This record gives sequence, C-alpha cells and structure tokens, in this order.
Amino acid sequence: MGSARAWVATMIGAGLLMAGPALAAEPVQITMWSNWPDEPAKKEWVTARVRDFEAANKQCSVKLSFIPKADIYTQAKSAVRTGQAPDVFYMEPDQPEFLAGGFLEPLDGHVDLSRLEDWAKPAWTSKGKVYGLPVEAYTVELYYNKDLVKKVGVEVPPSFQLTQGAFADLVKKGAAAGITPVSQGVGDRPFPGGLLLFESLLRKLGPEDYGKLLNGALSFRDPRVLEVMTWFKGLVDAGAYPKSFATLKLGESHYYFYQKPGALTFPDPSWFTGRAFAPPESGGMPADFPLGIMQFPAMDGGLCPSCKTLAVAGSFVMYSRGKNKDCAGALLNAMATPGNGNKWMEQVSLQTGLKTDPSTIKSSRAEYFAELNARNKDVTYFFGTPLLYYRAKCAETYTQVMNNAFPAGLIGVDEAAAKMDAACRKGS
Amino acid sequence: MADAATPAGARVARPAPVPKAGRMADPRRAGLSILLVFLAPALLVYLGLTAYPAVRTVLDSLFTIEGTERSFVGIANYRDLLADETFRVAVRNTFVWAFVAPVLDVATGLLLALALYAGVPFARFLRVAWFTPVLLSYVVVAILWMWLYNYDWGVVNEALRAVGLGALARSWLGDPNTALSALIVTHAWKWAGFNMVVCLAAIHSLPSEVLEAAELDNCGWGAKLRHVIVPMLWPTLLNLYVLAFIGKMKVFDLVWIMTGGGPLWATETVSTYVYKRAFNWNTFDLGYPSAIATVWFGVVCAAVMILNRVFRSRDRLEY
Repeated sequence: MGSARAWVATMIGAGLLMAGPALAAEPVQITMWSNWPDEPAKKEWVTARVRDFEAANKQCSVKLSFIPKADIYTQAKSAVRTGQAPDVFYMEPDQPEFLAGGFLEPLDGHVDLSRLEDWAKPAWTSKGKVYGLPVEAYTVELYYNKDLVKKVGVEVPPSFQLTQGAFADLVKKGAAAGITPVSQGVGDRPFPGGLLLFESLLRKLGPEDYGKLLNGALSFRDPRVLEVMTWFKGLVDAGAYPKSFATLKLGESHYYFYQKPGALTFPDPSWFTGRAFAPPESGGMPADFPLGIMQFPAMDGGLCPSCKTLAVAGSFVMYSRGKNKDCAGALLNAMATPGNGNKWMEQVSLQTGLKTDPSTIKSSRAEYFAELNARNKDVTYFFGTPLLYYRAKCAETYTQVMNNAFPAGLIGVDEAAAKMDAACRKGS
Repeated sequence: MADAATPAGARVARPAPVPKAGRMADPRRAGLSILLVFLAPALLVYLGLTAYPAVRTVLDSLFTIEGTERSFVGIANYRDLLADETFRVAVRNTFVWAFVAPVLDVATGLLLALALYAGVPFARFLRVAWFTPVLLSYVVVAILWMWLYNYDWGVVNEALRAVGLGALARSWLGDPNTALSALIVTHAWKWAGFNMVVCLAAIHSLPSEVLEAAELDNCGWGAKLRHVIVPMLWPTLLNLYVLAFIGKMKVFDLVWIMTGGGPLWATETVSTYVYKRAFNWNTFDLGYPSAIATVWFGVVCAAVMILNRVFRSRDRLEY
C-alpha cells in the first residue's frame, strides 16, 4: 500500500515537472475590441501594432476583434458591469460615463505619458490621471471640389476663407446650377448636421463664449447666436443640403461628394481620409479628384475667424477590472511610440495624439498633408466638438434638432434655439 | 368456469386488483415528484430568463444605479416619467402604431388570402412571394425600404416622378409628417404574409356547406365575403389583431435602423426610448429605463385585457 502511494506521488510529481515548463510558456491572452472594421487603413494600423507587440512579447497574446463603434459602446456598457469587458477597448472622450463609473484604469503606471501630445492629454485626464491612449485626433475641415466651385463662378481667395456672404453666394450659385452645395447626411451619425453651424458659431463667438454656449452658460437666444443661425437657415432654405439629408449615411455622403452626384463642399472631420483614401472601387475618392480644403467661412463681426475645432476621437482604454493589466498596459505602451505615430499619419493620413516625428513622415499623400497643414497654420484651436460637452437629454436634443431637424429645414431659428435652451441651458 | 386449456397446476394470470379511488389512484395523474422532474427544466428556464429579469426590472426602477453603486430613490423615477415630454411623445407614437397598424396588417393579410383563395393566376408563386418578407430579418427589411424611400433614387419617388407627381416626392423618412406612416407601411409589408397564411388556413377550414349554400342562393363574391366569410373569420381576425397589437407595442428594430426615433422624435417609440435611456444617455443608470419598462409592461397587460374584454362580448379569443 505504501509503495503504491509513493508510486502515485512520484508520477504526479513527474507530471507536474513535465507540465511546468509548458504552463510557463503558455502566453497570457488579452482581449481587445477595436473600432474601424470598415476603414482599412486604421484596421491595418491596429492589426500591425498588435502583431508587433505579440512578436516582441511572447508572454502575451492578443485576441483582437474589430467591431462597429456603436456596438462596442453597447456591449461594453453591459460587459463592464459584469466583469466581462475586454482588457483593452476602443473609446472616445464623449463617453465619460465609463470613466465616471470607475471602469477605466489609469494609464499612468502603464504607459509612458511623455509620448502623448500635451494637447491631447486633457481629453482623457481626470483628477490628474490619464485614462485613454489618444490614437486618433482630428480637426474639423471644409473640403471642397476645386473644379465645381470654379465652375459655379466662385473664386476661393488666397486666405482660403470665404466671408459669410460669399459662402451664401456659393450655396445659391450651386443650387441654381443644380449642384448640391454641401454634401452631408445624418442617417447614421448624431453630429454631421451640426458641423457647419457650430464651426460658424465658433468663429462668431470666439473660444470663450463658444465654450460657454457648449457648457450651457450662454443662451442660444443670444443675438450673435441667432444671427449665425439665421444666416445658416438662409443656406438651408437656399437648398444647401441634399434632399436625402435625413437618411444619407456618413459613408454615402462621402460618395455623394466625390463620386455621384457630386457636391461643392463637404464639411467633415479630418478623418475624412479613412474613407476617401480607400480605393475608388471600394467607394474611395478617385485619384484625380480635385480636392481642396478651405476654411469655414468668416462670420461678419466674428471674434475668431481663425478658430478651428480640434478633438480627440478614437482612443484605447484599459478595463479597471481586467485580470491581465500587465499585458494590456504593455500593449498600449508599445503602441505609444513616435514611430507608431508616424506610421499612423503615413497610413491613415490623419492627425494623432501620439507624439510623432514630422521630419521623418513619408506619405504617398504628401500633397494632401501639405494642404491640411497649411489650413491649420496659425489657427486657434478650440478643443472638443459639441457632443464632447453635451450629455443625456441635451445631447439627444442636439442630435434631433441641430444635427437633423434644423439643417433639414424642418424647424425655424426660434424653435431650434428654444429647444436647445430648454435641454442644455443651465438653470433652465 | 375453469378454462379447459389450462394445464393442471398452472397459475392463472389475473388482472391487477382495482386500486382504491383517490388522487394517486388515477394512472393518468402522476405524483408530485414526477411532475416536478418534468416541469423543472422549463420552470427553471422561465424563472431565470423571464420571471427574474421582470422582477429585477421592477426592483431596479426604484433605484438609481451609477456604475456599481445603487441608491434607493423610491418612486422618484416614476415621478420624473410623468414630466418627461419625450416619453409622452413615444407613448403617443406607440399607441398610434399599435392601434392603427394592426388594422392595416390584418386587412392586407385578408385581402391577399382572399386573392389566393379566389385562384388568382400564379397563386403558388404569389403565396411564396407574399410570405417571403416574413422570413427576412428586420435589418434586411429596413435597409430595403430605406432604399425604396430614398429621395433621389428610391422607387417610391421615382414612380411618383414617372407619373407626373414629382411634386409629391419627398424624404419619406426625413419628414416628421410622413416618417411614422412610412414605418407603419414597412412593418405591414413585412407581416402581411403571416396574416395571409393564417387567414388562408382559416378560409380553407370554413364549412364548405355554408359557402355552397350561399352560392346556391346566388350570393355574389362581395356579399359572400361580407355576410359569410368575414363573419366566420372574425375570431381569427381578432386574434391576429391582438397579436399584432402586442408586437407593435414593443416595436424597436425597424425604428432603430430606419430612423433612430427621428426626425424630431416623430418615430420615437417606447422601446427605442428605453434603449436610448439605457445605452445612449451617457450614464449607466438603469433605474429610469427600468421605470419606463415597468410602466409599459403594465400598459401592455392592461391594453390586452381591455381588448380581450371588448372582443369577448362577440367572440372568445384564443391565444
């Protein structure tokens, strides 16, 4: 009996000894949810960073999934509560509830924060700690078709900024020529319909009062705001937007602008490139498309004609209850290098909150970058789009009213202002 | 009398003694433990996936839940609900949809069934074609109809332009005056085939003597339909109406994909509003959406009971 026990113990011990190295070699698998399933350049960048990380860190493997943004948010909202969220997931700063709920891990102990742009950190900073890796940054730009604008008889000045009157003239001439002046659709997004109006408000009010407007401290019935809204309503009534505005999706509005039927202008964040620089057969912009970038119009008596919105969008965060924080943190740290920042700009042709070395960026889209840089030279940035500031009912009202009904011509200036004040004005 | 064929000494099998009368005596009735064995799986699934979530929703409606913290707020969520303008709009839209659309659904289904019963050409093909939308997912149906309603190149507007009615062309889903109707039509299109099949089965099961008697009395198609077929189908039609009503009180998918509740909340339904409050409101709070869900659960139950009572005066409903 005793010898039998000894034999069993020996066998178990031998088994454990043999299994030990195998267990030790088994990499820790972390899960990662990324947005951009339909944007090849960004998808490739994320995939390459993950593969590089896995190659350099044999003890970690990454189960990477690309999921549409809205689905990520919905799934993450359930998953973080039940402890089943991925170790690393995509997030944008306009979803502050994850941070407020304590579901995000500070990156301070995991990522070398000196490798993030200083202007990008505030988007993810709370109580002195940084919670997100700001991979994607953007400015709000006004793209235009050089040939069509010239065709309707409008000359873009050397400043690349029309006055509000000249822009209204452009809209009217486009509409008269049967060319849609502004390609835009809100069928699947809560923000595009507000781009032209709110960029105009920024230039009229200047950063300080515009910030007050977005924080609910300034009324939409302020005379300056009403003046800009009235001008904007004039554009709408002149036929600025496509008739299919309410149902046109973001991807379709790209196609509308640079393929069929074509439009004079296209207000869009500079992530425009994600779709535009896809191959034309996949809905991208034709290689010979006469793309130009102009400034949003200068408002009469505007306090800041050179203002422009800058924002952080696609970022990666760590789940605070993740079980593999070491690997997750190491992955984000490995992504945050100037070299990877350069690769992002080269591949995606879009700004990033990661530090870069501009002198070494090589891009097949150098001409585009040169123009984008020129339009961003000497501008005054205002940080954040309306949806970064608006929450809950105010955000919903912005989506329904300023993003949709007002630019669609469904309601007038006074009604739109009243609805926004009722939902967003502090103390209302 | 002894059986002559029975060998001597052999034991004769006798029928089992008749058990005493009583609950356990009836062989058709199993004991409690046996019943539990058979009931337990279904009961567990029901308790876990239906009863518990329902009870938990009611409980959650009394709390504010931020992140991992729950704080009891009593009926505050219900009080807020009374003052919630968007909720009122959502209720109005849902009621319009739930009371009006089933009439369209059932009428369309009945007409299609009658067409097949009357032997229209290509009936076999049409039966399949008309039923196919039922098999499609809401996502496919929504995308299909968004194309049909497209302002620039959608079939609806192209058809209007082709017949010289271009002035009527509009952004059907982008206009608050037409968006809800456009969705109702889409929903009716999807479910007409289901109603058609049920109506067709009911028509085929009508007693042929009655129909033949009507024909012998020189009853025309219209009169036969009005005085014979529809009255005899009435219980079926009512059942279809109530089923459609319940489905429409919960409608979500189609609205979410096609309009997201817009424009200007013109197509907001209670279900889309619950979803927005639960997942699109920059908060983790499930208390308020739970209050909406609880109220709406009560409203649906009450509405079904009222419909049941109203219809029972003429015909008993079967579910």
